[in-house]
Amino acid sequence: MKELKIFLLIVVIVLIGYWGIEPLAHSIMHKEVEEAIEKYHLPDFKFSDLPNPSVASGDPAKGKEATKMFCTSCHGIKAEGIKAPMDAKAAAASFGVVPPDLSNMGAILDKKFLINFLMNPQKATENPKFAMPALGLNEQQAADIAAYLQSIAKKDLTPKEKTVEACTRCHSIKYQKIYAETPAENLKKYLGKVPPDLSVIYKAKGEEYLNAFINRPGVVLHGTSMPRLGLNKESQEEVVAYLEEIADPHKEQRKRVGLYVLLYMLVMVGLTYAWKKKIWKNIH
Amino acid sequence: MEKKGGLMKWLDERLAITTLWKVMMSEYYLPKNINFLWSFGVLTMLVFVILVISGIFLLMYYKPDANMAFDSVNKTIMMDVSFGWVFRHTHAVAASIMFLVLYIHMARGIYYGSFKAPREVVWITGFILFVLMSATAFTGYLLPWGQMSYWAAQTITTLFEKIPFIGPDLVIWIRGNYIVADATLTRFFALHVTLLPALILVFTAVHLYAVRIVGSNNEDGIPMTKEEKKEKGIPFWPVFMSKEYFVMSVFLLFFFYLVFFNYDFAMDPINFQPANYLQTPPHIYPEWYFLAYYEVLRGFFFSQNLGLIAFVASMFIALFLPWLDFSPIVSGKHRPMFKVMWWIFVADFLFLTILGKLPPTGFYAWLGFIGAIVFFLFFFSLPIISVIEKRKVASGGKQ
Repeated sequence: MKELKIFLLIVVIVLIGYWGIEPLAHSIMHKEVEEAIEKYHLPDFKFSDLPNPSVASGDPAKGKEATKMFCTSCHGIKAEGIKAPMDAKAAAASFGVVPPDLSNMGAILDKKFLINFLMNPQKATENPKFAMPALGLNEQQAADIAAYLQSIAKKDLTPKEKTVEACTRCHSIKYQKIYAETPAENLKKYLGKVPPDLSVIYKAKGEEYLNAFINRPGVVLHGTSMPRLGLNKESQEEVVAYLEEIADPHKEQRKRVGLYVLLYMLVMVGLTYAWKKKIWKNIH
Repeated sequence: MEKKGGLMKWLDERLAITTLWKVMMSEYYLPKNINFLWSFGVLTMLVFVILVISGIFLLMYYKPDANMAFDSVNKTIMMDVSFGWVFRHTHAVAASIMFLVLYIHMARGIYYGSFKAPREVVWITGFILFVLMSATAFTGYLLPWGQMSYWAAQTITTLFEKIPFIGPDLVIWIRGNYIVADATLTRFFALHVTLLPALILVFTAVHLYAVRIVGSNNEDGIPMTKEEKKEKGIPFWPVFMSKEYFVMSVFLLFFFYLVFFNYDFAMDPINFQPANYLQTPPHIYPEWYFLAYYEVLRGFFFSQNLGLIAFVASMFIALFLPWLDFSPIVSGKHRPMFKVMWWIFVADFLFLTILGKLPPTGFYAWLGFIGAIVFFLFFFSLPIISVIEKRKVASGGKQ
């Protein structure tokens, strides 16, 4: 009984310590992040801070014309056989970052965000340094382009493809042998530093942070050079799931082996207890 | 060991293994009035063995080079090598849990007065082992070459700068560069895998030898001769060890739960970002087992020099316990005044540990200062308590 009391005392002390150095410390150190998440209800896939478009719907056919007029002088659209006017190196040198190919943008971006973005990229991305200039589109034109981009986008992109579309113009994923399209020296000039490699970023940042940060970088990390991407709910979830999968490829194995090991140890606890009882039977 | 076959006999004639076995195990007697806290010494050895074995396997794939270290840990070992992650998790969790076991082992020694005469050498060698473990943990923490590895090493090595006269040169000598760099990584690696574990082995041997000469203390601090123990006590083998195995099993159940299901506390998320000497993380903190001393350092927020002196004192003051506490009453169980101070100390250590990870601003800074003062209060109260108890015993008190 006395030993049990000592044991329980140790358990209580250890638990208080653990609570202090893990949950408590993290809640205090990441207070700003928690507050931002609470305040802006992140991740906010309705993009509530942006105005709702007043036009009911866009016309893909008109959008196609508008796209040719406004977009293809910088962007390629492989799906439609339109090549980018410059190769990656030249584009990065002129714009700071390689402009994305527009083939699949309609599939990964939220439509409301996209319309807002087309009218005012800096405002929608919450990034004043964002490379694409406002083109002076009216809302109808923006809605048409968005409708067109959605109509040509592949519907069955894998999580990996979505991640590549969304992230790897600036980020590398070294362990997957995926390297940023834009050369590092251009990124350094454009963003102030080379953006972090995403190979194990899930372990460094965790799911909650990533979901909030990708959704609205500017309010989670003040002064960040990462623009808001406007990924729709489905795409962001797939991207985060992909980031977890590559950062922690042995998760299933760990759970399974862990269970076996704990079961084995439980048996050992029983066996050693029985042996102890036997040896100590005549001691007291 | 009783039956002597050909080989055993041959060995016995040359190495006296039967006598050795008797001295170390079967005829080494322990008192009966000890509880499971006396099992934690063997537990530290178990954890050390786990560290050595997992460490050897990690060594086969780890690359001590600033350009390769991070990837060799996070890609090669964690992803590519079959079950490499088990060894990394085990090594990281064991390093952390070593200190939990060590602290409980030391706390038991302090509470029951196991550091007192004639066990001073046991205490001192044990304390040296604690310092060696700390050095091993500190050098090992740099090896994954993540952000926290880097900045912890940078911060702690900077502390040496304050040593009068030689400080600035000493820092460069330790780092092998003006900042923590590749040279630092390789030398920390060398110390972590060769000199420090070798010294730990040596001092473990002396520690065990010493305790077999003077014997174990007990809950009530009653001095017992070898004959008394033989009569009333239990032999180390098999009686004590049968209990030890049970304690070990329970411990390993807990340990492997952490290894597989709850390892974040031992592998800080920030350390999954590669070391970058241009980018300081917003919060730099040591692993949990150094937080209390770190908080003593920060507690004297108004004077860096004072903080440093307090920091060094907080780590080494326990070494002098046999001389600070000279009370004739051995065990804390029979010392009401000591008990009060002891529990204040335990609560304060916990308090400092928790505070050590929080940002050292405003209110927290003052709390840290108070915590640091209370930390030393325990040690400074011991001589006073000892004098009072000495008088009481002299005037015919019990014991």
